[in-house]
Amino acid sequence: MTVVAQGSGTLEAIPRPGSVFQRNLNLVRELSITSFKLKYTGSALGYIWSLVKPLMLFGIMYLVFSLLLKVGKGDIDFPVQLLIAIVAWTFFTEATSTAMNAVAGNGDLIRKAYFPRWILVVASTTSALLTFAINTSLVLVVTLVLGHLDLTLRSLLAPLYYLELIVLVLGLSLLLSSLFVFFRDLGHIWEILSLVLFYGSGVVFPIMLIKSTTLLDLAGLNPVAQIIQDLRYSLVQSSPLNHSMASIIGPLVTIPIVISILALVVGYLVFTRLTPKFAESL
Amino acid sequence: MNPVVEVSHVRKRFRLPLDKSTTLKYRVTHWRSSSRYRDLIALKDISFDIPPGQFLGIAGPNGCGKSTLLKILCRIYKADSGYARVNGEFSAFLELGVGFNPELTARENIFLGGAMLGLTRAQLRNKVDEVFAFAELEDFAEQKLKNFSSGMQVRLAFSVAILAQTDLLVMDEVLAVGDASFQEKCFDTFSRYKREGKTIVLVSHDLGSLEEYCDRVLLLNHGEIIADGPAAEVTAAYHRMVADHAMAAERDAPSQLSRGDPGQWGSRAIEFASVTLLDGNGQSSRRFDTAAPMTIDMQLLVHRDVGDFVIGAAIRRADGLLVSGSNTSLDHVTVSSHAPGEMVSVRFVIDSLPLLAGGYFVQVSVHDLTGSEVYDHGDPAASFHINNMGGHVGMFEMHGRWQVEHEKDVPTSAVRQTAR
Repeated sequence: MTVVAQGSGTLEAIPRPGSVFQRNLNLVRELSITSFKLKYTGSALGYIWSLVKPLMLFGIMYLVFSLLLKVGKGDIDFPVQLLIAIVAWTFFTEATSTAMNAVAGNGDLIRKAYFPRWILVVASTTSALLTFAINTSLVLVVTLVLGHLDLTLRSLLAPLYYLELIVLVLGLSLLLSSLFVFFRDLGHIWEILSLVLFYGSGVVFPIMLIKSTTLLDLAGLNPVAQIIQDLRYSLVQSSPLNHSMASIIGPLVTIPIVISILALVVGYLVFTRLTPKFAESL
Repeated sequence: MNPVVEVSHVRKRFRLPLDKSTTLKYRVTHWRSSSRYRDLIALKDISFDIPPGQFLGIAGPNGCGKSTLLKILCRIYKADSGYARVNGEFSAFLELGVGFNPELTARENIFLGGAMLGLTRAQLRNKVDEVFAFAELEDFAEQKLKNFSSGMQVRLAFSVAILAQTDLLVMDEVLAVGDASFQEKCFDTFSRYKREGKTIVLVSHDLGSLEEYCDRVLLLNHGEIIADGPAAEVTAAYHRMVADHAMAAERDAPSQLSRGDPGQWGSRAIEFASVTLLDGNGQSSRRFDTAAPMTIDMQLLVHRDVGDFVIGAAIRRADGLLVSGSNTSLDHVTVSSHAPGEMVSVRFVIDSLPLLAGGYFVQVSVHDLTGSEVYDHGDPAASFHINNMGGHVGMFEMHGRWQVEHEKDVPTSAVRQTAR
């Protein structure tokens, strides 16, 4: 019978939590906190950069579209609408483009350790979501204090639109991250598509400036346009240029909502389908 | 008792694309040939069980499929058909420190590495000090990992890796890390695991450590289990396999050194035309008995008249260990060339080969007097096998004598064995 010496010579192991859900949740949390932290450590201004970027974009767009081209004239709260839209857009584009690399950029982890692969994508989205949540809170608090928010009953829908945005982003992230492993052109394709979406979704101008009904319907079918427009409508005072997407394109408004949900379903299905091939392909 | 690991008819094939076709341009311009690939069968129908508490080793040459098998066990790869099931928790040590981030502090990396194992922050918080004590890194908790020496990183990674309680431990040759004192701690940990009845799978090239630790060893070759049994038996089978393989390769290309083989290089001013092993009767042979004579017969073809030169010959064991070697210069023998096109016959005569059973290679070399220009080099130039005759164990015959004396008034310590 051997007596095992206690002290620094041995390290007693801990039992893992029985619930797999708890383990996965914990791993998502650790990974997203890590990437959030790493993004801002080492730079002098740290987190402020993630605020400066959308603010800069806002400044330029405000200057070009509102002051020079006068697109939002007659809409006194247009700058607030622009700000809300740009913060939401920044989340959309940063989350999807970072997620693109969530699988492909973690080849080492995937080849050497086992854990559910979707955790990488969820962690990447969560990390972007953290920035988004802080920025949105700041924007909402500041605009509320300045008296530019119009909180009414319809504002209760705003959290649902934010949720729809998250569902859409997560679905696209699952899709993009898994396809990117096998198809590296996707990075460039997505960059171009994002540019089209940026202007096609009326991020920087009121969507109702599109005069052609066909084009307006077409723009309204894309979930980014619908989410951004409905966020503006639910949070800022309505005006001739600021309506809900439902009143702009009618019953067609179900389509972008269905697309958002479908993005998550399809993204999940494609991701799980491709998961077994990741380790061999990276 | 239920086996901890059940592997049943696992097959795995890799499709290796012959061209890299992951870009759109390629797909468009090469759409007709988009299905060009080469199949690599990594595992053919592998089945085995591991009962609880067994220390199983997996050995085999490079490319035999052992890493693939390990990755299927760890659910990193998916088997094409069949299944590999682990009943219980497992920890995989395919590489230490997977998931660690150099930009984070040691403490933060413990939380991150622990989360990779499935442990929560709350569980780890009480454990951090213990981990630092075990890793002997108490003073470096808040240091960034990138400032750690590789030894320190390994210590931290190992300490984290053993944090989670597990029924099965899967390891891929990570034992050869860290300094000696910490290595001892690792082995202590593994021994403790073994005592506690944990099941362990170890993949290694190092037959010595497999023999030392494993209850059972699987030998893989070309994706098949070709031996399965107690470590000593399988290790012997492995030596045999390597030797046989080399012989078969030689049979295909009799006595001739093939150009382009990575083992052959040199300026070819003088070239080995043939290297043959001769037995006591002067007959070519590849099987010898212990203590039998062996002659390495080398025929050299001179392409350039270089004057005096040196020929060397060495014997290596199948696993690469240098057994013995010498050359004409060391033994004060002069060899010279006289004219291009000349054939020089050189023999290294061994009166009695003291080697014990196993597979061996002969390596030959011809170079100038200073060794600065190598004319030709054959590694391996030939291979041979020493027959198992029972008797002594190890690598070579010790030609020792036992002396036992019985005298009065002599302390027992004078009874000794001598070896010469």
